[in-house]
Amino acid sequence: MTTDLHSLLAPYVLDALEPAERAQFEAHLVQCPDCRSELGGLQATATRLGESQSQEPPAALRQRLLAAIGSIPQERPLVTSINQRRGLRQRLPQLVAAAALVLAAAGGGGYLVERDHAQDRERQLADITSVLGAADAATTAQDFPNGGTVRLVTSKKRDAAVVVAHSLPALDGGKVYQVWLIRSSKAESQGTFSRSGEMVMKDLSSADELAVTVEPSGGSDQPTTAPVLNVPV
Amino acid sequence: MIGKNPFRSESHVTRSAAHLRLADASSDEPAADAGQLLVRVGRGDEQAFAAVYDLLGASVYGLARRVVRDPARAEEIAQEVFIQVWQSAARFDPARGSAKGWVMTLAHRRAVDAVRHDQAATNRENSYDWSNGPDYDEVEETVSMTLEHEQVRRCLEGLTELQREAVNLAYYNGHTYAEVAEVLDANPATIKTRIRDGLVRLRDCIGVPA
Repeated sequence: MTTDLHSLLAPYVLDALEPAERAQFEAHLVQCPDCRSELGGLQATATRLGESQSQEPPAALRQRLLAAIGSIPQERPLVTSINQRRGLRQRLPQLVAAAALVLAAAGGGGYLVERDHAQDRERQLADITSVLGAADAATTAQDFPNGGTVRLVTSKKRDAAVVVAHSLPALDGGKVYQVWLIRSSKAESQGTFSRSGEMVMKDLSSADELAVTVEPSGGSDQPTTAPVLNVPV
Repeated sequence: MIGKNPFRSESHVTRSAAHLRLADASSDEPAADAGQLLVRVGRGDEQAFAAVYDLLGASVYGLARRVVRDPARAEEIAQEVFIQVWQSAARFDPARGSAKGWVMTLAHRRAVDAVRHDQAATNRENSYDWSNGPDYDEVEETVSMTLEHEQVRRCLEGLTELQREAVNLAYYNGHTYAEVAEVLDANPATIKTRIRDGLVRLRDCIGVPA
């Protein structure tokens, strides 16, 4: 079995494994010092294969990225970065705080590749990233009367939005906030959260508005209370 | 693969320009290597991010372009990669590998995920015809004439045909080894071995420390 798994090292380095095999191999990698000692040289070789294809990207990409990163939260932001990013913190404090937690929890690959079993989470992270990084990403914020904020980052280009709820008033009796997208007068649940949370919503162009209601523990199939928040999309 | 082959009409001038730009970027800041820059990016340093982009942007975009072919899709992938670099730079540990390697690993994985995702979408619509597969030989003809690329190409030429095709199909075309086996009408176990032998030979030829 070990020999078998070891033979996956080279295909792994070239990203040529099926997801299940990749997960299996990564689990193996943790307990195989021989694999790890060989990994570096093979990865460096793959890097050279990649670099050899170097090609000038469109100039617009650089401009877009430099314009976007100011509003994109980082994992484990350090205290020393606050001064450099003061402008950002004034613009999007809650988004930064909430989304940084998501991103920290989700991880995102590493050189020795820490992709765990959180594939859904990773996909969600990718979706969040894609919306936050979209050239046309626009943010709107709604304050709750009793504290807390719901922010909506929308990208028409991606036809998607990210909702970030932060420190909403605590609910008693296990009640939750439930997010809905209203399409042709029908409410579609997007998920629930207790006080803070974030979720990605897709196919936004066919939706009319976003609503948040308070629902019993576990959420409801359809809204059972009047919305505490409506945002046209 | 899906779509047209954008490499067909590509000029050498474009690629040479990319390398000139890379050379400029590194000579401007001889002291700042990618690893140090990435550590600064992890602390929210936007200038360091710009410098990382100038160092690695062409490598990331070029690789994405090679794997997914479509220029717009490649640009999208490069954008996602650099956003991920911005977000995750604090997780980069210089002790565990080179910054370039880290970024290129992210780039390749994303490009491969994209190509498989697109392929899955295509397959749902019509069954895939492997004979439409990538004309990688043709692609290889149009590659740039930089020293670095020449070395990689020379080393690729030093492989057996099966090793070279297996490595090319897996790395540059985003196929799993099982798919490579199907394309080349070979046993998957054989392909695993050929990929390994090929990669080890490349490593020794390129002179990467084992």
